[in-house]
Amino acid sequence: MNDVIIETRDLTKQYGEQKSVADLNIHVRQGRIYGLLGRNGAGKTTTMKMLLNLTCPTFGEARIFGEDIRTHEKQILPRVGSLIESPGFYPNLTGTENLRIFAELRGVKKKNAIQEALELVSLPYRDKKLYSQYSLGMKQRLAIALAVMHDPELLILDEPINGLDPIGIAEVRRFIRELCDARGKTILISSHILSEIALLADDIGIIDHGVLLEEASLKELERKNSQFVHFVVSDAEQASQLLLRNFKTQNFNVENRHDLRLLDTSLPIAAINRCFIENGIEVTETHVCEDTLEDYFKKVTGGVGIA
Amino acid sequence: MLKLIKCELWKLKRRRFVSLTLLFAFLFPIPLTYMMTTPSMASRSDTPAEAFDGVFNFVLGYGVQFLLPAILGILAAILFFMERDNDTFKSLRTIPVTSRQMIFAKITVLFLFGIFFSIASLGATLLCSAFLPHAFEITGLLYKLIMSIEMGIFITAGTLPLIILIVFFSKTYVFSVLLCIFYSVLNMSATSLFEVLPKAVTWILPGTLTTFWSAGNMVSHGIDLNIKAMTDLGLIPTTLQTTAILAGTSIISVALINIMYERRNRE
Repeated sequence: MNDVIIETRDLTKQYGEQKSVADLNIHVRQGRIYGLLGRNGAGKTTTMKMLLNLTCPTFGEARIFGEDIRTHEKQILPRVGSLIESPGFYPNLTGTENLRIFAELRGVKKKNAIQEALELVSLPYRDKKLYSQYSLGMKQRLAIALAVMHDPELLILDEPINGLDPIGIAEVRRFIRELCDARGKTILISSHILSEIALLADDIGIIDHGVLLEEASLKELERKNSQFVHFVVSDAEQASQLLLRNFKTQNFNVENRHDLRLLDTSLPIAAINRCFIENGIEVTETHVCEDTLEDYFKKVTGGVGIA
Repeated sequence: MLKLIKCELWKLKRRRFVSLTLLFAFLFPIPLTYMMTTPSMASRSDTPAEAFDGVFNFVLGYGVQFLLPAILGILAAILFFMERDNDTFKSLRTIPVTSRQMIFAKITVLFLFGIFFSIASLGATLLCSAFLPHAFEITGLLYKLIMSIEMGIFITAGTLPLIILIVFFSKTYVFSVLLCIFYSVLNMSATSLFEVLPKAVTWILPGTLTTFWSAGNMVSHGIDLNIKAMTDLGLIPTTLQTTAILAGTSIISVALINIMYERRNRE
């Protein structure tokens, strides 16, 4: 696939006997938001650190823009913006001064790059407040500003909403979406909060104990977990024929002799029940069920779920 | 590299210790100038020009030789602990800036401070002497300026082995301060024990080496100092010998600092 920006091949990180990340194969496609979802300690940060060459893999490789990060660091990293773990800045400097240092080192030529980055995260430009006086949310915003300041093609953001208040979370979510939709940025974002990933990501990778359990688009996952109506009837086969003939739908599954799962929830349930009864089918139970993403994640992570 | 050095200097903004450095430059010139005006000391100088040379020599001996390594040690601790304490190493690495580049920039800043402090000490000496025109006559200013710059460079180069320990132990600032004081005292003690210590030991210790070099250099430029005992023992090194020894020390020190800094930041 030519549009794959990040590709890992059996990426593994081992500390002593413990595998922090094991044989990880993720694929982040261009212009999409990839959500790496996993509980705390699942291996998300270690994965991101290996992608940024902050730590060396024990085995396997990470390819970014088609090149191995370990051998092409100088070419790759200027095209990447990142936020790893907690924000790190100089406490004796203001936010603007901190960004100026990194802008200088990155060789950012655009004159108002710092101002634009700060405005993007709703932080004041040339404010006199020192970084040491910043709240946790402000620190996180500044870290995001640093990640986007040099207009990178790829953003690697490790738990970017940590420490933000609900309004801040919504703002960050909005501009991350905007960076992807309006500016075509590719974004790899990690989180242990399922709802955040579900709201933001186009593609999702579920990681648990260092192992990638699933990689799919959000749509695929949603398809697997859509709402359905569960009928317990005397004859599921006959009921399915009635659905086909009278309600013109094939969107159902006959689970066994008595269980029928209707996936199209827009159909009139009362009318279906009446139809079944009028045709001599006993209806014992009718439930509207919703297998949420969380239920699905619980299943794939072995029942314990996320976070 | 220039960008990195500039950024290292920016990082020190609002650091009280940096501004205090200028005050430290006056720490020795004030009492030493006063001391030179006391009758017992004044009687040792035949002319006001000799009296000024005497103050300059004392300031180099105490203010620069003794105080500068301590100041540089603390500054090194600030510079080298900065990325660890503020968790900024990852942001710099993802630019990418390598550990080696960071170390070179930080060490360059140390050299700049060493030179700055030496010149500031000379400035403080001039200022103090200018207040007492009857006691002191300022002469040979250009030579003294060059000498101060050379001393700043040599003392900084001589402090690099101390910085290896600071980076290696990577402990607290208090530990670094204690280490710096110990280093200065060690060098001063070795200087005063030159008659009993083997020549190799006195030349390996950077503080002692620069003291001997500066004494010999000042005498060759007409400053009246009693260095007969040192000359007889062949302890006065040439500028070339001093430069070579300190350059060797610096290269080994920088290589070791690099190895340790990289290892520490990979942990």
